[in-house]
Amino acid sequence: MRNLIIELRKNKRSGAIPVLILTGMIGALYAYANFAIRKETLLSLPLPPMVILLTQLYGMIMVLNLFGIIVSTTIIFGIEHQRNSIKKMYMLPIKISSIYMTKFIILFLLLFLCIAVQSLSLTVIGRLYLPEGTFEAGGVLVFAVYSFITSLPVLSFMLLVSSRAENLWITLGIGVVGFLSGMAMASTKHLVLLLNPFVLIMRPAMSASITPSIPITVLSIVSSIVLIIAGYISATKFHYE
Amino acid sequence: MSYIIKTNNLTKAYKDFVAVNNLSLNVRKRSIYGFLGPNGAGKSTTMKILLGLTKATSGTFTIDGKEIHLNRIEILKKIGSLIEAPSYYLNLTGRENLDIIRRILNLPAYSVNSALTMVGLEEFGNRLVKKYSLGMKQRLGIASALLGQPPVLILDEPTNGLDPAGIHEIRNLIRELPHIYDCTVLISSHMLSEIELIADDIGILNHGHLLFEGSLDELRNTGKSANPGSDNLEEMFLSMIEKDNLKRKQKAIL
Repeated sequence: MRNLIIELRKNKRSGAIPVLILTGMIGALYAYANFAIRKETLLSLPLPPMVILLTQLYGMIMVLNLFGIIVSTTIIFGIEHQRNSIKKMYMLPIKISSIYMTKFIILFLLLFLCIAVQSLSLTVIGRLYLPEGTFEAGGVLVFAVYSFITSLPVLSFMLLVSSRAENLWITLGIGVVGFLSGMAMASTKHLVLLLNPFVLIMRPAMSASITPSIPITVLSIVSSIVLIIAGYISATKFHYE
Repeated sequence: MSYIIKTNNLTKAYKDFVAVNNLSLNVRKRSIYGFLGPNGAGKSTTMKILLGLTKATSGTFTIDGKEIHLNRIEILKKIGSLIEAPSYYLNLTGRENLDIIRRILNLPAYSVNSALTMVGLEEFGNRLVKKYSLGMKQRLGIASALLGQPPVLILDEPTNGLDPAGIHEIRNLIRELPHIYDCTVLISSHMLSEIELIADDIGILNHGHLLFEGSLDELRNTGKSANPGSDNLEEMFLSMIEKDNLKRKQKAIL
């Protein structure tokens, strides 16, 4: 708890925390505005109403979330590298690995909040605009959990990159390159390419079904755990010189 | 004699460069130890090793009888430090920066104010650090080292960037610290004139080698026997460095 308070205080005025909250709100507003304006066009598609609600809006929401993750992870360690603030942390009685894990927990909770706000918006849209009897709150919940799990590998990967790259433009650049690589490989059938975290986050947007893919879910969880452990070890082993 | 910092043949080598060479320092408890040497002599590297910022290639050291790789957290609780340019969060104010350190050290809230007052920054505490002048940043670095009145202070050229009045003020503060807080100070500088005003003991480092260790009087006596008639410490220090450099050049030629 003490570490959480310290990390939250460090991020005052940095922008890392508002970015993901804002992303959630913009995603929620976008979904609502898009459905409210295009509801006739969207509902005339030859798909079940719940599939339309969840898959037709997810693409843009996912892109927003992806950029929110890239920017917040870049900033959260950027403040440590700017003026070598991390050097002071190495000279204090605190474990650098615990700083890393606390930053991860903050971003994890913020991403959860971001997706929760967006899902709330989808629930409101479903209740207001879907034909009577077609909306399933459970479907929105399952899809929210699925999109959250598939977003975690990018979050873990970007935090790892951000913790190692002293120049924040490098972190940002890797994020943008990752996004482009994800776009290029999103519909891949090659299993190896699924190791790219930016592909995993895009998988829900590539599917015409709202049922979560079990292999993608498992791969996302495993990949997140591996990346978190890699970040933890690198924070423990690599020293400031 | 009770030594709070003790190093045994400490060596730090990079690929083809030895920054610290078989260094054996002995810092007495409650003393001010002036660590002298020209730029690049290995003073900062030694201090970084003592703080666990970099690993020694060989040799050992203890701080208060403990080894850092076994007791890092425990040792760092007892050390206040300022190494090279001070590090801060530019998005925070001076007070907020100190508050982060205070929370890590589990200190009461009032310790931030007393540290700011001690270095004369109380009226600038609520200003963002990115708007601080070089001297103010240096003062904040000293305040962060003093936070919680640690028993050991490691200060790497703490008066860098300060104006003459600031240098005088900080020098007086450092001189008083062992009496007020019962602490030990290891302070580095490349100017003997500055160190001789505050230090009890002196270590002179050149190219990673310790050329001299002892009290100011011992340094005077050593200098007098080498250069009879000379009583100027600055000259003794410079001639010691020059002789060592000359010896190295001759060795390199051979």
